[in-house]
Amino acid sequence: MKLFTAALILSTSLFGAEGLTHEQMMQTGKNIYETTCISCHGVNGNTDPEMKLVVRPRQLSKSILSEDQMFQIVKHGAHTFGAHADIMPTFKYVYDDNQIRSVAHYVSQSFNKERTQRIEKLLNESTKLSSEQKAQRLKVGAKIFRRKCGMCHGITGNGESEYVEQSKADENFIYPYNLQKILLSEEQIFLYAKFGGHFWGTAKNDMPSWKKRYNDVKLKSVAHYVAQKIKKPNNPQE
Amino acid sequence: MKKIAIAALLASVTLFGADHVIDQKGKTFIPHEITVKVGDTLTFVNSDPFAHNAYTDDEANEFDIGMQAPGTKKTVPVKAAGKFDVECAIHPNMLLEVTAN
Repeated sequence: MKLFTAALILSTSLFGAEGLTHEQMMQTGKNIYETTCISCHGVNGNTDPEMKLVVRPRQLSKSILSEDQMFQIVKHGAHTFGAHADIMPTFKYVYDDNQIRSVAHYVSQSFNKERTQRIEKLLNESTKLSSEQKAQRLKVGAKIFRRKCGMCHGITGNGESEYVEQSKADENFIYPYNLQKILLSEEQIFLYAKFGGHFWGTAKNDMPSWKKRYNDVKLKSVAHYVAQKIKKPNNPQE
Repeated sequence: MKKIAIAALLASVTLFGADHVIDQKGKTFIPHEITVKVGDTLTFVNSDPFAHNAYTDDEANEFDIGMQAPGTKKTVPVKAAGKFDVECAIHPNMLLEVTAN
């Protein structure tokens, strides 16, 4: 029995995708990356800053996404998770789950392998909330969301707002995400709002950093509000 | 007749105050600091290709010009003396420091 349990644990750690070892996933992922992803996301996940696309592809070496979140986005496309259009298309008709898991594994384990430590460091350095501040998060977060976030993302967070209507004629305009569909966790939302999209690999004119305007307590409150009241369950069908 | 005209002109300046144009360009207020008098007005011009939303939470001079489309201008009065900040609700790095005497 002990032997069986040990074998199960070993197989879980060795085989991330069904029947594939870490080495096999890295090789499969590398092959797919270098034939498909590299044209937009660049060598080692470093997008060409001069690339002439309306929305600059995300710099994967700075991505906030976990390996599983990356798998979901490669499989179903960014639009499924709140992007305005299929700027990052779905690849589920091109590659099977094992291949997509492999490319997500390759990206996470090669040029974005510092992600976890980077996130942990930023969270450890952030202000810890007192129990009183935790109790006030929804109230504080709702007020800031309506005053600031809702201006772009819409008061319900669905990505539709007067700002979009008045600004979309700008050829460089980047549509705000539909926050109801996002994959990010509460902690990821906090870090994204605090440091802005560019810090996490998007174009400079994407989501701004709010760290000069709001302290960690307020930004954590907004993140809590978004995670609890705006974001909805999002489990796309096969 | 000339004296009356000059008196009327002086009266209108006193009554209506001066108008100060604040441009919003490149996600920046230009100028980013200004000294004005109570009774003056601030006219916000949006020269960016996207919308802005200038506002202040200062109690004595509170205003919120709402969503401002590209190429438009909106004017607000300076109602009370003091220092206050004007921000854009959309772009967090935009800051205008106003001193009203």
